[in-house]
Amino acid sequence: MSAGRGRIRESLASSIQYVRGSTFLKETAITLTSILLAFGIGCIILWAAGYSIPAVFLNLWKGAFGGRLAIGQTLTKATPIILTSLSFLFAFRSGLFNIGAEGQMYIGAITAAVVAAQLQLPIVLHTIVALLAGGMAGAFWGWIPGYLKAKRGVNEFVTTMMLSYVAIGLTDYLVAPRGPLHDPKYQANQTARIALTAQYSRIMPPTQVSWAIVVAGIAVVVVWYYLFRTRSGYELRAVGQSLTAAEYGGVRTKRKLIFALSVAGLLAGIAGAGEVLGTHFRFVDGFSPGYGWDGIAGGLIARAHPVGAIFAALLMGALRAGGMQVQRSGAAPADIAAVLQGLVIFFIIAPSLVRQLARKAGVSGPQWIRHVLRSACGRARSPARRLRDGGGRPTE
Amino acid sequence: MNIWGILADIFTVHLLLATLRLATPIALIALGETFSERVGIINVGVEGTAVLGGLVSALVAYFTGSPLVGLVAGVLSGGLAGALHALWCIRFRANHVVSGIGINILVAGLALFITTAVWGWRGTSSYSDTLNSWYIVGAMFAIIAVSQVFIFHTKWGLRLRVVGEKPEAADTAGINVHRTQYVYTILNGMLCGLAGAFFFNNVGRFTSGMVGGRGFIGIAAMVIGNYTPVGGLGAALLFGFIDALQMRLQPYIPSQFSIMLPYLITVLVLAFLIKRAQVPAALGKHYIKQ
Repeated sequence: MSAGRGRIRESLASSIQYVRGSTFLKETAITLTSILLAFGIGCIILWAAGYSIPAVFLNLWKGAFGGRLAIGQTLTKATPIILTSLSFLFAFRSGLFNIGAEGQMYIGAITAAVVAAQLQLPIVLHTIVALLAGGMAGAFWGWIPGYLKAKRGVNEFVTTMMLSYVAIGLTDYLVAPRGPLHDPKYQANQTARIALTAQYSRIMPPTQVSWAIVVAGIAVVVVWYYLFRTRSGYELRAVGQSLTAAEYGGVRTKRKLIFALSVAGLLAGIAGAGEVLGTHFRFVDGFSPGYGWDGIAGGLIARAHPVGAIFAALLMGALRAGGMQVQRSGAAPADIAAVLQGLVIFFIIAPSLVRQLARKAGVSGPQWIRHVLRSACGRARSPARRLRDGGGRPTE
Repeated sequence: MNIWGILADIFTVHLLLATLRLATPIALIALGETFSERVGIINVGVEGTAVLGGLVSALVAYFTGSPLVGLVAGVLSGGLAGALHALWCIRFRANHVVSGIGINILVAGLALFITTAVWGWRGTSSYSDTLNSWYIVGAMFAIIAVSQVFIFHTKWGLRLRVVGEKPEAADTAGINVHRTQYVYTILNGMLCGLAGAFFFNNVGRFTSGMVGGRGFIGIAAMVIGNYTPVGGLGAALLFGFIDALQMRLQPYIPSQFSIMLPYLITVLVLAFLIKRAQVPAALGKHYIKQ
């Protein structure tokens, strides 16, 4: 009992240590500067294409955060992206690239839709069963490239991508008018509506925000705990750092690689299941506007940290929700949001470039952000010290 | 119709011609990737680079009225994307794969944004005059032949191979490692741009989904071809054949299955047909001059 409490205290202390430590501040500063730079270049593109820059950014803000409905939109869109970001970064931590989250989502979604529509189970249990079924199906779709990578050395980058196309085609066939899972009541390519017992309840009416976001939050905590607080997670990260070193260190690297891609598939599958159980209440062909691809961007923007995935997904969800409003208002095409997203990635992956640019602009490093953050985090100092005296130690 | 009738309907000379045409962009991308991976730079942005090449050649052909100028512009834009990737990987020491993903995501967004801004349709251009795509098919064969000789039978080819295998040795021998990497990564981009221009000229207009994973299939073709231009061409012909076959199969099986076929075959070929390829030793590593 007390050992457990000590462990939690230790985790807390080291987390606070991490937040206050200079790596965290530096990374946050670079991330924020990257976003600013990307928006700057986005402005140039908008100006060159002849759109009104203030109108675009005003509507971007309005669509993402202007009122309860807008915030609901942002959160709804951020929910699957949190999970697909986790999916990408989990594989990334083991040194693999899972760029097939989109397909794993589709497989997870259709499995969850079938289980949710066909089985008869009590409320809550039905949701959990459908969610797990979707997750397992996604995990299977991730296991295939993992197995091929570990046993036959096949480049997972190509196979996850190819299997993604296969998944999208396969599910499209299943729900198309002559397919076995098609809902005969409608012309559209979709399955029958799922049972009421399997639906997530909405937690922010009238918006579509549902329990799916809570599930995503739990996934963040679990992934974080696994990666940074368990031996197995440590080994997984060791494989990502250096496969040969981990092998000499006694890690069964092949198993780890398969496991990493399977879990990546599981997380993407849960994302797809959440869309069915919480948003659409059935599998609709083309239900994802690219959440799987957003997850790649999200994982990178989060710098492969699970907690960062929440913020990265919120940014992406806000861009998607805001982009729709930009389009509705006629200020510019919605896809300016996707352009901004691509630009953010480009700056984020080259920290040395961002540092150089900031230095040239007269600030020595992105110091100003660091100052702001340090003063904001300063208040956490004294409890941190108290906890540290209680046995905590920095592990990051 | 009996089975022989169906087979006779599928296996015609058109199938052969379609194979050649559909293999062309895959072979060009495989060749480009061969050059850049031989000097140690992984570029998974080939997919996005090809989309960019198609987009720019459609744009320039639309505004100038000359598909040839469009083609040149498409090739140059591919070179620009290659230069960007090289800059990121060499100068800023970004992870090669991550930088490539960045190109793919950025171009995907740009393609949708620009088509909507220029033509008013999301992801599609209007039809315009095009070149006869057979010129590009012919050029592809010539480029492959020249590249094969270049890589394996000239001193420049030897130098580029050394840079990817042992950059320290290359450096000691007086080869400028980074400049070599820049040159061939840009060349890779230009070949992908040409592949993109081919897609545009083949269909007569740009659509954002027209590359549809062929860039990744090109990488697979390079691996199957064991990092040689001719080997890559062979694999590209296989994938081109599968692609041509699926189009002729469309009336007989559900379209979703035929569309899936090239992707499924790629996974199966990678999984079962090949042994491990001879990967350049310094692939994906950042060379820091001592």
